[in-house]
Amino acid sequence: MGCARDIVEHCGVPRFVWSDFPLGNSAGRPFDAESQARTLELALRLLESAPAARTTVASPLRWTADPDWKRKYLDVGKLTPEDIAERRKEFDVVKAVAKAKREGA
Amino acid sequence: MSDGPAAPARPAIQFAPEDDVPIRYMERTRAYYQALGFSPYRWAHFTDAPFTPLAVPLARARVALITTAAPFQPEAGDQGPRAPYNAAAKFYQVYSAKVDSKPDLRISHVGYDRANTVPEDLDAYFPLTRLQEAVAAGRIGGLTPRFHGAPTNRSHRVTMETDAPELLRRCREDGADAVVLVPS
Repeated sequence: MGCARDIVEHCGVPRFVWSDFPLGNSAGRPFDAESQARTLELALRLLESAPAARTTVASPLRWTADPDWKRKYLDVGKLTPEDIAERRKEFDVVKAVAKAKREGA
Repeated sequence: MSDGPAAPARPAIQFAPEDDVPIRYMERTRAYYQALGFSPYRWAHFTDAPFTPLAVPLARARVALITTAAPFQPEAGDQGPRAPYNAAAKFYQVYSAKVDSKPDLRISHVGYDRANTVPEDLDAYFPLTRLQEAVAAGRIGGLTPRFHGAPTNRSHRVTMETDAPELLRRCREDGADAVVLVPS
């Protein structure tokens, strides 16, 4: 169950329920048990009846009627050189923290 | 006198905006990190994917759940729903916990879409409650006694040679007939 269609299909998995939702909502819409139950049911049906590897079912649920949210994700076109420098610095810190954590694991 | 023919019903399916398509995450991520001065990440890509039909009816099957969410770690900084990316909350070894343990799992260590969502509802990224309901409704035979956490390690080698075999071992130990993987 996931939200990044291109990444999962590029890898190749046995069965995939794709929700066209922002990353972080692989199991359905927050605080919406019905959407979560429907998303899970698609996964269960795939378990039962997918005919072959790499079978994808696209959930019919929409995040919002307006697809504007899709334009915003990691939109590098809107970043100034100062933004980029700042984010580079932040990412260098993140990498160092992750490395320390990995080596201590 | 008749009112004339009824107006045709509006079609349920209409043209969508041209950019209302699946987000090209690999392209955007590549462009973003190249703009920051990093060389591009090579996404996992294989010649084929495995496939095994379900060996038992789902109503008799035991299902395992695998997540990339991390247990809350009090010493690892802000892991709340509005936390910025928190590398200190990453985990690098497979973990397991009982499915009846009411886990506190967070995704602050994951690059989810912080511009468009706030992960305040565990059930939106960790479907244990919905799976338990499916068991109660007889849709699934049962859940394995544990769910498992998969590290989000960018190393293909570690994922394939260490983490995935360990996850498989634990799923087999628990008698899983099928696994639902839910990355965040």
